[in-house]
Amino acid sequence: MSSTPSRSLVNGYHRGSNGLIASAPRGASMTRESAIGSSLGGTGSGGDDEDREEDPIHLALKQRWETTQANIAALFSDVRPTLQSQKVPGTTPETITDTRAETNAKTSAPFKKAARTIDDDYGDDDDDDEEDETDKESPLKSKGKQPHVNGISPLTGRSPAPITKPPAIRTSTTMSQDNAKPSAEDARRQLEMEKKANADAAKRSFQTMFYTLENDRDAMLEQQKLDELDREVENEISGDAEGNQSNQQNASGTGGTQGSLGSADLGASSLTLKHLIARIDAKRDMVQASDNQLRTLISEVRKGRSKWASEEKVGQEELYEAAEKVLMELKAMTEYAQPFLQRVAKRDAPDYYQIIKQPMDIGTMIKKLKQLSYKSKKDFVDDLNLIWSNCLKYNTLPELPIRKKALYMRKETDKLTPLIPEIVVRDRAEVEADERRQQSLDADDDSDDDDAPIMASRGHKAPKKGSKGAPSSARQALPTNVEDASTPASEVKPALPLSTSALRNEFLRADSETNETASAGLSTPPPGSGTPLVNGVSSVSIAGGQTDPMDVDGTGQSTMIATAEDADEDDAEFKTWKQVTKKDRATIAADRNRLFRGNQLNPDEPALLRDKAMMRRWIRLQKVDLTDKSASTDDVKDGAEGTEVATGETLAEGIEEQHDSTLPDYYHTMSAIPALDDCWKWATDSEGFVVPQSDKWMRMYPKNQYKSAEGVLTKRIESNMRQMQDTRKICSKIGIVKQMQIQGQTYSNQFQKYDPEPFLEKDIGPVVVSEDGPLMTPWVNRAAMQRAVGKIFYHAGFEDFQPSALDTVTDIANEYFTKLVQGLKAFQEQPKIDAQTSRFTYEEQVLHSLDENGTDIEALESYVKDDVERLSTKLTVMHERMKSHLGDLLRPALGDHVGADGAGAFNDGSDQFVGGDFAEEMGEDFFGFRELGLADELGLEALSVPFHLLQNRMHNAYQAQHQGPVSDNGIVFPQPAPYDPITIEMLPRQIGIIQDFFRAKLRTNHENPLVEDEDLPQKQRFPKPRLPPTGKISSPRKRPIREQQQLAKKKRKLEESEEKSKLSKPIGPLRLEMPDRMQSGVDPEKDGEGNASMMSPESITGH
Amino acid sequence: MTENKARYRTEIQQMMFVSGETGDVSPETTSIIENIVQQQVMEMLKRATELASRRGVRTISTDDLIFLIRNDKAKVSRLRTFLSWKDVRKSAKDSDEKGGGGGDAGGVDDFDLTANDPTLGNGPAVGTRTNKNKKAKVGLPWDVASFYSEQVPERDDEEDEEEEEMNAATLQRLKQADERTKGMNAEEYLHFSECRQASFTFRKGKRFREWAGFGVVTDSKPNDDIVDILGFLTYEIVTLLTEEALKVKADEDALKRESGRDEEKRGSKRRHEPGLFDPPEETRSPVGPKHIQEAFRRLQRPDLKSRYMHHVPKGNWQRPLKLI
Repeated sequence: MSSTPSRSLVNGYHRGSNGLIASAPRGASMTRESAIGSSLGGTGSGGDDEDREEDPIHLALKQRWETTQANIAALFSDVRPTLQSQKVPGTTPETITDTRAETNAKTSAPFKKAARTIDDDYGDDDDDDEEDETDKESPLKSKGKQPHVNGISPLTGRSPAPITKPPAIRTSTTMSQDNAKPSAEDARRQLEMEKKANADAAKRSFQTMFYTLENDRDAMLEQQKLDELDREVENEISGDAEGNQSNQQNASGTGGTQGSLGSADLGASSLTLKHLIARIDAKRDMVQASDNQLRTLISEVRKGRSKWASEEKVGQEELYEAAEKVLMELKAMTEYAQPFLQRVAKRDAPDYYQIIKQPMDIGTMIKKLKQLSYKSKKDFVDDLNLIWSNCLKYNTLPELPIRKKALYMRKETDKLTPLIPEIVVRDRAEVEADERRQQSLDADDDSDDDDAPIMASRGHKAPKKGSKGAPSSARQALPTNVEDASTPASEVKPALPLSTSALRNEFLRADSETNETASAGLSTPPPGSGTPLVNGVSSVSIAGGQTDPMDVDGTGQSTMIATAEDADEDDAEFKTWKQVTKKDRATIAADRNRLFRGNQLNPDEPALLRDKAMMRRWIRLQKVDLTDKSASTDDVKDGAEGTEVATGETLAEGIEEQHDSTLPDYYHTMSAIPALDDCWKWATDSEGFVVPQSDKWMRMYPKNQYKSAEGVLTKRIESNMRQMQDTRKICSKIGIVKQMQIQGQTYSNQFQKYDPEPFLEKDIGPVVVSEDGPLMTPWVNRAAMQRAVGKIFYHAGFEDFQPSALDTVTDIANEYFTKLVQGLKAFQEQPKIDAQTSRFTYEEQVLHSLDENGTDIEALESYVKDDVERLSTKLTVMHERMKSHLGDLLRPALGDHVGADGAGAFNDGSDQFVGGDFAEEMGEDFFGFRELGLADELGLEALSVPFHLLQNRMHNAYQAQHQGPVSDNGIVFPQPAPYDPITIEMLPRQIGIIQDFFRAKLRTNHENPLVEDEDLPQKQRFPKPRLPPTGKISSPRKRPIREQQQLAKKKRKLEESEEKSKLSKPIGPLRLEMPDRMQSGVDPEKDGEGNASMMSPESITGH
Repeated sequence: MTENKARYRTEIQQMMFVSGETGDVSPETTSIIENIVQQQVMEMLKRATELASRRGVRTISTDDLIFLIRNDKAKVSRLRTFLSWKDVRKSAKDSDEKGGGGGDAGGVDDFDLTANDPTLGNGPAVGTRTNKNKKAKVGLPWDVASFYSEQVPERDDEEDEEEEEMNAATLQRLKQADERTKGMNAEEYLHFSECRQASFTFRKGKRFREWAGFGVVTDSKPNDDIVDILGFLTYEIVTLLTEEALKVKADEDALKRESGRDEEKRGSKRRHEPGLFDPPEETRSPVGPKHIQEAFRRLQRPDLKSRYMHHVPKGNWQRPLKLI
């Protein structure tokens, strides 16, 4: 190790200041580490070497101490040449604090470096968590101080950088390099921009071009291969992850605890995540993941730190980051890279391994990358080129497509390699040793700045030149290179120490900001960033030489590539598109492909789901399309993002961040669904009930479409129908009256009460329809048509009609209207005269189609005039006539003058009084006139007895039983008590002479009470004896009518049966008790034979 | 059918005279008219029989006949008036012998236009008319009155506006007749009124029955009313034909004058100017068979209504004879 000489050197050199400073930081940093350090090294710091060597902690502390010493020494050595005078006051307390800050700043200013230093330490130590803390603190502190320090002494502020950097670097700064550095960055940036431009171009091309999906399958297969490769590599890596890990740790020269995450090289993450890590460490056995995975995880969690970050490997992160990027880039060119992804199988090319001694492929490279086998850019690039050269070597025939691919890939490689920084990975220890050595060199001769870098760089130059000198043996160069990198690596940077520069301070400052830039600056970039390839090849620089092809000379290769590309590039745009979108396309195609098993849909496979982000994207694009089609893509993008932020899309509220896809919309078929209207959303209110989206959103069939339209004609027709109903009512009354005049006996249930229902047209219920236009339900429409026809029937005077007639007429009407509309359509669709004017105006169309179907306006008009309007007047006339006729039929005496109770009828001393019209007093409602409504109709409340009844037609036998409503009249006489019926019991009270007569009667009546003759029903009543003018009763008394008939009929029958039949006859009381209200409501006409199926418009309207 | 031609020659001539054809009509013309009328009558009888049989009755009723002409409202109205007057006449005959032959009295009262029956000109005496006037109204099955189950007597104060309107057509015809008779002397007027009484049926029932094919087309024992109605209708047909034929002839003459003006200009220019010594009307050529034929053709021209549903495929379908 180089620590001993440097330490001794430092000790020897800066003893005085050393002691001063050594006490200062320890006192200042009041941490445990320092406490430990002071406790352990309190004496040791004095120079107890033997103890430290045994104890790892001591060792570490010592190392650390030495590092600090070296740094401080470097600081002072740095300060000294420039500010000689300051060295004297440097011993003052102020400078002490200053330098202390400097010391801390040293570890912090090159931030990553400081972390690495710490890493080094805890790689040795178990309890370096605490140490981390201090170290973390100190950089923070120093960070806060740094500006201040710089402000006081800018020169000293700049001074820490040289401590980390070997002086060689300083010396290497030249004007040309200063220029070269930005140019290298430019190159990278340019490449990035190119790529971006490509992607943009591809995106733009979506607008103008429709790409078919035919290439997706290839893309998918290639992508699958890539994934396979990745998996393979991952498996292999993780397979020996443990061993690797321990190896690494062992390699770092510390016997730290295995499996402890904290001991894993997590870089600075251990600072920010130390609690998490400590926790994980404590429960390490419960965590299933391997250390490698954990490390990857944590490094991913951390920002700005890649998984490649390593504390003990200086430059590894930068190198591997870039290398991986390049490798992925190359891998992604599946079109060309596909054959090189995996090792050549022996069965594919049996003689391959005879020709190719050093096989190489991208997969292996990834593996190597993950195993951290690359030590420098050169190793990596050599491996890459090895692939292509292998291919070219094996496939000698120039027309082979694979050659083309290899050449293309090489070209791409050349394009990309400048992105990789020129870094050689070195162990931290070596670096530090170098630094120390450098310091000592610096200390040795301050003025001789130039020598050391040259010396240092010599070791570097040699292997590089060697590699250049033997480019053909690049395969061997790989291991040797690695070795080279490790063995002579006495410097962090393989810089080209060309000359010392006065500007080195500036450069160093830039250097201290980021190692990456420094390294980039140190590397020899391809001079022309715009044409990196050719220039790079032809350039004389070392880097260019490294990328030189092995087999083919530079110019030849480039031309070949050019031709190859030309052959391929028949459609540049399409190609670009293919490349840019390959991965996305492959993903989507694979997704779709998963849905299939064999050639069939796999029902078990989970469905493809749409994705909010894509939907939002789609909506956005739609919107953009709508709003501004002419806007350029960039504008569109910006604007779209702006709007997107502004308008919270309905679908995508607070969803995952947008992942931009390079694919056009139509690749995301599931997402290409417009947003729902508000009305279709499933919304719940605060209580969790579903808010019913109101009906207004539903397209309801408009109401009243199935009713007759409101119009003059309709109203007229309906009024006509009502008129007919009214007239029919009167008709029925007339019929009743006439019937009563004819008939001897009438019963209240004999007459059908005519009480028509009003016509009501029912609308159809609420119907949801999907589109405008008529409702296509034949049965409903037919029913509506039937109703209309039925109305017309009724209007034409048919009270009821047979269903078959209705059906027939409905069919005819249907046919007719079909023809009418067909005609209308035909006229409407006549070819137009010119674009605007159609051949027929609407009026003409209607008139023509009417004429075609045998009607015209005049006919319709005459129908309205004759059959509706005139009918209406006729009906009115008829109604009046009926009313007056009914009035005539009824008693003319019971006019209006009679008064409410009929008492007025007596005022003129008229016939009623003489004729004994006392029906009112008897309180009868003869024949149910009131029920029939006649009384109300004609203002005949007092009507009780029609005139013909006065002619003794009707007997008053009802009186006893009938409980009609008693009309209140002026004078009401109490009813005389009815005679007691003759019974057996009453018999003795009768006068003796008729007792026998009654007894005989009673006997025939089965001892039942006798009924008065007056109470007998009509037919059993004995006719009234008429006395002829002579006064003699010539003929024997007639028997009652009924009895006569029965006697005539059943003369032969026995007495008993005769009497029985007499009893069982439905005589008066029985009949009168029959339901006197017309509950049945059945029209007697309808009861008739053949009328059962009659229907009337009233029944139809119920449809 | 040759014997048929001769049957009603006189009647047809008289009817044509009343209808405005003053000239001497050739036998060919009358025979054509007679044939047409016969065809129409037979068609009517046939259809009426069909209607009756549809009702399940063998004998035709007046309603069946009226139904056939129901669309010609004016004609129906005239027919109803005729029937009502016939009733009146009959009852008058029954009640006393005063009415006698309605035909005799009819002619005399012709000037009393409002009260008279114009078609046959045989109105009864004024006294009878007043009390029987309204009685005779003939109800038709499709009238409003038939809507209802009860028949009620008409009231006197009602004026049937429909009837009034139909009377207007009748009045128009009467007015024409009045115009024509204005200039007539007594003799001529007598002749005119005689002609007005011409009938196919009046007092020649047997001949008519044979002629119209009773017993062949329909029941051989027709109702008296039916024969009367047919008589009325035949009169109407002849009148209509004659009027139409006169129109045809007028058109033809006009056309001839238009086209033949140049030829006749020189010789007979004077003739067109009505002059005091113009030849009387009789010298005009009467309507010939061709005019009658043309008139019949025109009258047979299908009206709009017959096109109703004529899209319906019905095979080789001949348009039925149109009743005129």
